[in-house]
Amino acid sequence: MRYVLIDRFLELEPGKRARAVKCVTRGEEFLRGMEVFPAPLVLEALLQTGGVLARAGTGFSRMSVLGKVESASFPSPARPGDRILLDVAVSLARPEGTMCDGVATVGEGPGQGRVVGRASFLIVFVPEGMAPPPDAAREEQRRRLMRALRIPAVTG
Amino acid sequence: MGDNEILDKVRDCVATALGRDREEVTLEKVLSRDLEAESIDYLDITFQLEKSFGITIQKDELFPQKIFQDESLVKGGVVTEKGLAFLSEKLPYADLSSFRKDPKVTRVPDLFTVQLLVNYVKTKFRA
Repeated sequence: MRYVLIDRFLELEPGKRARAVKCVTRGEEFLRGMEVFPAPLVLEALLQTGGVLARAGTGFSRMSVLGKVESASFPSPARPGDRILLDVAVSLARPEGTMCDGVATVGEGPGQGRVVGRASFLIVFVPEGMAPPPDAAREEQRRRLMRALRIPAVTG
Repeated sequence: MGDNEILDKVRDCVATALGRDREEVTLEKVLSRDLEAESIDYLDITFQLEKSFGITIQKDELFPQKIFQDESLVKGGVVTEKGLAFLSEKLPYADLSSFRKDPKVTRVPDLFTVQLLVNYVKTKFRA
């Protein structure tokens, strides 16, 4: 991924929920002097968290893409210095994909922190016949990324 | 569950999945042509129905993709007798009478109306 908007996973319960964190620094290349972490990137961070959560439900055996964003809102802005908690829960899982609800908060967590983003979205699995063939280099890149993000299923 | 409650909930599901006002979602509306549903939306509708009604919908049960993929079911852009039998079996709650008169495969999406979804949910509750 060109832009990984997750620093690391804190919790991951495949098929149920995940919590990841993103610390916003002034050095982010996409900020370019802006004082606010752009709302679409808050959404993207939730989607990336949901993507990993959905794939974890398949033992990381399936590729996934974003199907659609059902709803999204950004009640308040996130700024450099903020630590964004990304909580995503599976609302329904099917063989074709996973419906997720996510909330991004700055502070102590859902219900306590300041909400900077909420979204409901659908992650879809790439049908078996349409997935690209296994590629060793890409697989190694994926493993490195998962280690860096401390994805529990991989790092044990 | 009563028929009115089923109708109300189906309308809510379709409105949510397609980002439409509930008032637009009336029984005769075709999901694709009238409500501009795209492929991913059919999956979303399936999710919404499962959540709203607490039912389990098997893959390809409600929107059978095989009709578009199996060459024995469609020849020269027209649904074959075998294809019609397949549709009858898979969609017993669909009204195929008009479709049979001009069974072009491009008309298959027209079968999927809000009414069809209501009929489908009713059969799930009767089962």
